[in-house]
Amino acid sequence: MSDWAGVFIFFVVALIFGAGGIATSFLIQPRRDTPLKLEPYECGMPTQGSTWIQFKTGYFLYALLFVIFDVETIYLYAWAVKFQSLGLFAFIEMIIFVFILIVGLWYAWKEGALEWQ
Amino acid sequence: MDFPVLLTILLAPLVASLVIMFIPKEENILIKSIAAAGMFVSLALSLYAYFAYNQDIGGLQFVFGHEMPWIKDLGVTFFLAVDGISLPMLLLTNLIGFSAIFASWNINNRPKEFFILLLMLIAGVMGTFIAHDLFIFLLFYEVVVIPIYILVIIWGSSKRVTKEYAGMKLTMYLLIGSGFLLVGVIALFIKTTAIAGHPDMSFTGMAMAAQQLGRFDQIWLFALMLFGFGSLISMWPFHSWSPDGYAGAPTAVSMIHAGVLKKIGGYGLIKIAVYMLPLGASFFAPYMAVLGVIGVAYAAMGAMAQKDLKYVVGYSSVSHMGYVILAVACMNVIGINGAVANMFAHGVMAALFFSMIGFIYEKTHTRWIPDMGGLARQTPRLAVGFMLAALASLGLPGLVSFIPEFTIFVASFEVYGGVAVIGIAGIIITALYVLRAGANTLFGPPRPEYDHLEDIKGPEMVPLVVLGTVLVVGGCLPSLLFDMINSGVVPLHAAISDALQLGGKF
Amino acid sequence: MPADMFALTLPFDPSALTLEMLMAGLAMLVLILGIIVPKGARHGLGWVSLLGILGIMAVAVSLWGEKRELLNGMYLLDNYALFWKITFMTAAALVILGCMRFVDNMGNQAEYYSLTLFATLGMMVMASAGDFITFYLGLELMTLSFVILVCFRKTDAKSVEAGIKYLLLAGMSSAVLLYGLTLIYGLTGSITILEIGRIIAMQPLSPALVLAVVLVIAGLGFKVSAVPFHMWSPDVYEGAPTPVTAYLAVGSKAASFAIILRLFVSGLPGIWENWAMVMAILAAVTIIVGNLVAIPQTNIKRMLAYSSIAQAGYILVGLVTATEAGIKGVMFYCFLYVFATMAAFVVATYYYNVSGSDELRDYAGLAQRSPLLAAVMLVALLSMAGIPPLAGFAGKFYLFSSIVGDFLWLVFVGLIMSMVSVYYYLRVALVMYRDDPVDATPISVSSPVAVTLVFATIATLVIGICPGPLSEVVNGAAHTFFLH
Repeated sequence: MSDWAGVFIFFVVALIFGAGGIATSFLIQPRRDTPLKLEPYECGMPTQGSTWIQFKTGYFLYALLFVIFDVETIYLYAWAVKFQSLGLFAFIEMIIFVFILIVGLWYAWKEGALEWQ
Repeated sequence: MDFPVLLTILLAPLVASLVIMFIPKEENILIKSIAAAGMFVSLALSLYAYFAYNQDIGGLQFVFGHEMPWIKDLGVTFFLAVDGISLPMLLLTNLIGFSAIFASWNINNRPKEFFILLLMLIAGVMGTFIAHDLFIFLLFYEVVVIPIYILVIIWGSSKRVTKEYAGMKLTMYLLIGSGFLLVGVIALFIKTTAIAGHPDMSFTGMAMAAQQLGRFDQIWLFALMLFGFGSLISMWPFHSWSPDGYAGAPTAVSMIHAGVLKKIGGYGLIKIAVYMLPLGASFFAPYMAVLGVIGVAYAAMGAMAQKDLKYVVGYSSVSHMGYVILAVACMNVIGINGAVANMFAHGVMAALFFSMIGFIYEKTHTRWIPDMGGLARQTPRLAVGFMLAALASLGLPGLVSFIPEFTIFVASFEVYGGVAVIGIAGIIITALYVLRAGANTLFGPPRPEYDHLEDIKGPEMVPLVVLGTVLVVGGCLPSLLFDMINSGVVPLHAAISDALQLGGKF
Repeated sequence: MPADMFALTLPFDPSALTLEMLMAGLAMLVLILGIIVPKGARHGLGWVSLLGILGIMAVAVSLWGEKRELLNGMYLLDNYALFWKITFMTAAALVILGCMRFVDNMGNQAEYYSLTLFATLGMMVMASAGDFITFYLGLELMTLSFVILVCFRKTDAKSVEAGIKYLLLAGMSSAVLLYGLTLIYGLTGSITILEIGRIIAMQPLSPALVLAVVLVIAGLGFKVSAVPFHMWSPDVYEGAPTPVTAYLAVGSKAASFAIILRLFVSGLPGIWENWAMVMAILAAVTIIVGNLVAIPQTNIKRMLAYSSIAQAGYILVGLVTATEAGIKGVMFYCFLYVFATMAAFVVATYYYNVSGSDELRDYAGLAQRSPLLAAVMLVALLSMAGIPPLAGFAGKFYLFSSIVGDFLWLVFVGLIMSMVSVYYYLRVALVMYRDDPVDATPISVSSPVAVTLVFATIATLVIGICPGPLSEVVNGAAHTFFLH
């Protein structure tokens, strides 16, 4: 029970901490509204034209391919560090792993994902 | 192993339908001939079985496949056998099935499909009567529903109710009934397996265990079965599918349905429900008697009010089944004898009736009684068949249905006294509406618009000859039928009364 | 440098993964072939996939009776898992063989077939899953493959809509499921199902565990489209390309049942009283709603969708008691359900190719145009309704006989509703058989489709007339379940 009480207290403190900050600033802040401050977002430039524009799917494809190889690197690092002790089995496994990714890249290439139109 | 008579009887129509499948659909006559040939084999073999059955030994004969495990973990075997109760039913199925093929001789709209379905239907009905295993029985019992539905929606007639409505009503009533029955069977299976220690779904094996069930279990299981079989045999108040269904169905289906399919309900009631659950049966017997009597009286009144020939016969068949239920409710040897015999008699009579009505409808394009009259002059042979069926329906001595009805009256009067009298009075109403229908259709001044009608001839004569012969022979030599039935009922009744006495002790 | 640096030391025996590795290899092969082979020759990819599946199925059969465990019960290879794998592969083989023409019309065969194979792989992983991680991995592999397959007809708005719906709702249900799984992990400190079973049996019941079970049931209830988590299925089934619908209805459902059984019967038997009633009510509601809502449908795919909801309800019945008989009922029914559903959907697919419509009224006169298609459809539907001598009857008999003792009311609901279901199944028969066709040209059925249909129909008939052999196989598989 005492463990759970700790969790409960944690929640309460977190709640007070978060709500307290907002409440304090709300209470003590000076209020001088300008039209700019009443905008829903006050960062960046005012938008030009319609906000409902479409992004080229090319970005998306690139991002996807990037993520695949990004994630691959994480595994490769870990494997490289322990390469000595892992031995042949891990080596073969890693080749299979890379092979699977290469097939994916090959497919994407063939389907024209890497060509910017 | 001996020649598997029952298996051959069952397979002959199926083989015929298989052969028909490979015949081009233009070969009209060939298709019909093959159907007839298949049924002829079955009929001949079942006649053989009927007369070769040794009544002195009794019990199950022509046993097939009882040592052949079908589904091991359910204790199902492909157990085919007949006794004195199922043999008359089997014979009846074949008589009517054979006649039904000829009653449909004039079907020229997609005959190939029609005869395939009809043969499957007949085989299914036969299967229920020769199966000695509850699972196999259920298998055949539900198999018949689907061909009937398709037969009704394609070849049925939409006079008073549309054929779609009739077909669906017929199907739904039977299926919902069988749903309850199935619950009962599954529960019974689980309980008997627990008692016997091993699964066994053969009638005898199951009955041995089921008869030891407690009174309460037997009562609710019997209630489920009564509902299932009762809706099949059109027990009041689950009868309303029957007149509508027959009216919508094509002739052959009406013949088979009224003639034999309905009887599966009575047969199941006797050989499964009463046999396996005697305590439940004795609890429900008085209620069944009351429902039976209500059925007799109510349906007879209903028939009086009808002007459509098929409805008259439809209601009359409900009324006749009331007698069967009353007879089963007596739970003595005479009563059950009467019930089985009456099912046989009514089957022959109803089938003849429906086939004659079918021909009348085919020729005059009406079933409306006020539109007809004097047909006896233009189509004498048809009139003979019609009147034969009508007279059998009112139980004329000398025809097959007299003795069974008389037996039922004796049995029910002995057991129920006053209630039975109402039932007996129903026979008077029956006479009234049947004779009136006959008189208005066949007699009176002939109508000129029917002068050109051709009388039935050639293949159309087969139903009249076959079924008419049975009506007369069965009436003159009742012992042919009764000895057989008695040989099956006596051991059954002995088992029931043993179980009842044993149950009484607790 | 140690001398044995390149010695092949295996931390585990990978032979338990033979089938999965083969399947993954096959899926990759099909994808690669799709890159290499010119567009016109891609028709052959279907045959490659089919032969591959049949080969893997043969390996699976040869493994029958093996019993292996990987990484402390993380991955289990036993008869139970093998039975399910064979079931999935049968479904995949049928759907590939039956719908080749449809896929050729859609194009992108390589992607289609390899995704189908990856979905199968996901199901196979699920059947063997011994812990939550493996289970979730398989589940997501299957679900994501299906998401892509569902919106495979990119230009068809309905198909894309179905895909998005499926993606969103599947994501939500996965979240719910994961929440339930984490709660169980939090309470037991283990993710291995067998381990959890042992721990829970010793613990007193806590409300959090009940919550966890409810969440897991909700999450998996979505996958098997049990009411009230069924809302996605009619839309998705209608929108997806018909072969995908078929495989979705059969495969994803069967795989979910495989893992539900594993999870509940070996993981949570200790608190059986708590979930048995939930399952029973879920089953009853699913059966009733599925059947009643199917009645007014006019689109054959929607009707089949609702009917498959009802079928899921019947299968849930087997879970209620968590006995060997119940498990057997579930496995038996799932296996025969493959054939009936595949047959019905393959007919729908083929007829769509001919007529371009899935509306029921356009099936008018099918019996005269092609007796084979009509007869197969009728047999398939009646098997689902449980009319003997078709397989569905035997299946229902097994399912319902497992619960007669304590849940008699459920037997009533199930059997009466299955008779009601005949009503809408027969309406299809009515349209096919009674009506005359608008266009009476006979439909010639191409031979792969004919083979599929005839095979599925014969299987339905044989299992129905003679359920003994299959029942013994299933018995064996269900029995190993209790040996862990």
